Amino acid sequence: MTRETKRLLMNAVRTTKQGQQINVGKDGAEYREIVETLGMHPEDLKAVGAVSGGRVRVRSEYGEVTFKCVEAKKAPQGMIVVPYGPPTCHLMGRYTDGTGMPTSKGWEVEVEPVASETPAGEAAAIDTAARR
Amino acid sequence: MGGKVSCTLGEVTNRADFIIFWGGNPAECHPRHFTKYSLTPKGRFVPDGRKGRTAVLVDIRETPSAKAADIFLQLRPSKDFEVLTTLRALIKDQRVDPAAVAETGLTLEQLQDLVDRMKKARFGAMFFGMGLSMTRGKHMNSGALLNLAAEMNAFTKFVCMPMRGHGNVTGADVVLRYTTGYPFGVNLSRGYPRYNPGEFSTVDLLVRGDNDAAFILGADPGATMPQPAIEHLASIPTIVLDPKVTHTSRLSRVHITTAVTGVSAPGTAYRMDEIPLPLAPALRSPYPTDEEVVRRIRRAVARRPAWQPVDENVRSAIA
Repeated sequence: MTRETKRLLMNAVRTTKQGQQINVGKDGAEYREIVETLGMHPEDLKAVGAVSGGRVRVRSEYGEVTFKCVEAKKAPQGMIVVPYGPPTCHLMGRYTDGTGMPTSKGWEVEVEPVASETPAGEAAAIDTAARR
Repeated sequence: MGGKVSCTLGEVTNRADFIIFWGGNPAECHPRHFTKYSLTPKGRFVPDGRKGRTAVLVDIRETPSAKAADIFLQLRPSKDFEVLTTLRALIKDQRVDPAAVAETGLTLEQLQDLVDRMKKARFGAMFFGMGLSMTRGKHMNSGALLNLAAEMNAFTKFVCMPMRGHGNVTGADVVLRYTTGYPFGVNLSRGYPRYNPGEFSTVDLLVRGDNDAAFILGADPGATMPQPAIEHLASIPTIVLDPKVTHTSRLSRVHITTAVTGVSAPGTAYRMDEIPLPLAPALRSPYPTDEEVVRRIRRAVARRPAWQPVDENVRSAIA
């Protein structure tokens, strides 16, 4: 299954379309498509071994999720851009460093391509109870 | 830290000729900000509108906001604090190591040019987003930018303001500030307010599992918070008040549908410059307002006898 695992920096963002869809409803297919799709530089796509429109598994220290990935030419090399949403909750760190604010951007993640039949947004939080 | 030197957005419109956006993407996240307040409107002392203003964007990636800026400075991720402290040194003509600056992804010449332009401005305004406050450094990054704005006032007028996110988050801060003295992370369990981010703040409470019930008003932590916090919300009695069924509604025990504030319910919303704006509803709603539901819950709670801790020795003596 795993062809190559690449470490990248994940940056969760907001987009206008996402903001519009929040007001339409978070159950809509369009909202889910937005928050389950990440963008990365074409060179990173190649390095990961994924294709634009394909699926990748993203793994952070806290959990893993599959996303649809697309080419984002303006994303800096080494960085993934993905709109905030339920899938990113699985990857987000739980500690706030005493500030009350979780680190919501700039997570180090591992990315690998997955078989296309795996639905995007499928999350597997790793043993959260044991970490408490 | 030097506090927040700020102003209203009206002052920005009428006076600001130099605008810096740091770690934010207003073109996508605050689409009316450029046209209504900060860039294109003609102001009393900025009669040429956009032509009379210089806009700088500082960010780690080229967002759609870069098109609206005259200068785009792309720094490396998590180097905001280093760049801000360098700028604070440069405005005071202190010596800076070019090699250290290069590690931020910018050059000393770029930062010196920015400082020169800032000092030549008549009225500078800095707006910062979650790219500054939610990355490594967090409040220290915000503090460094606020300090830079305060220190710039030795040379010219400069102000600084956070680009707040969803509707009326500023209102929550302001109301908590004037009722308890603190903006968030307030614990009232002893009958008086105590403030300690990291201990009493929502994410920390939920992740540690300290609370045994939750009342969620106008928020959807089920779609935004770290997964352990979401799992804890699902494991305790959670009540949600929201006009829509959200991810948090799904994991809650009770969801109460309420009218949409500003559309079908009146109220007051605080703009990001902390100006309170009255909201006049345009439509009628079959649902009660948030305020009405909270008042009804308070009345119902007040009818119940107050809970008092009972000493076990006293209990056994009575028995």
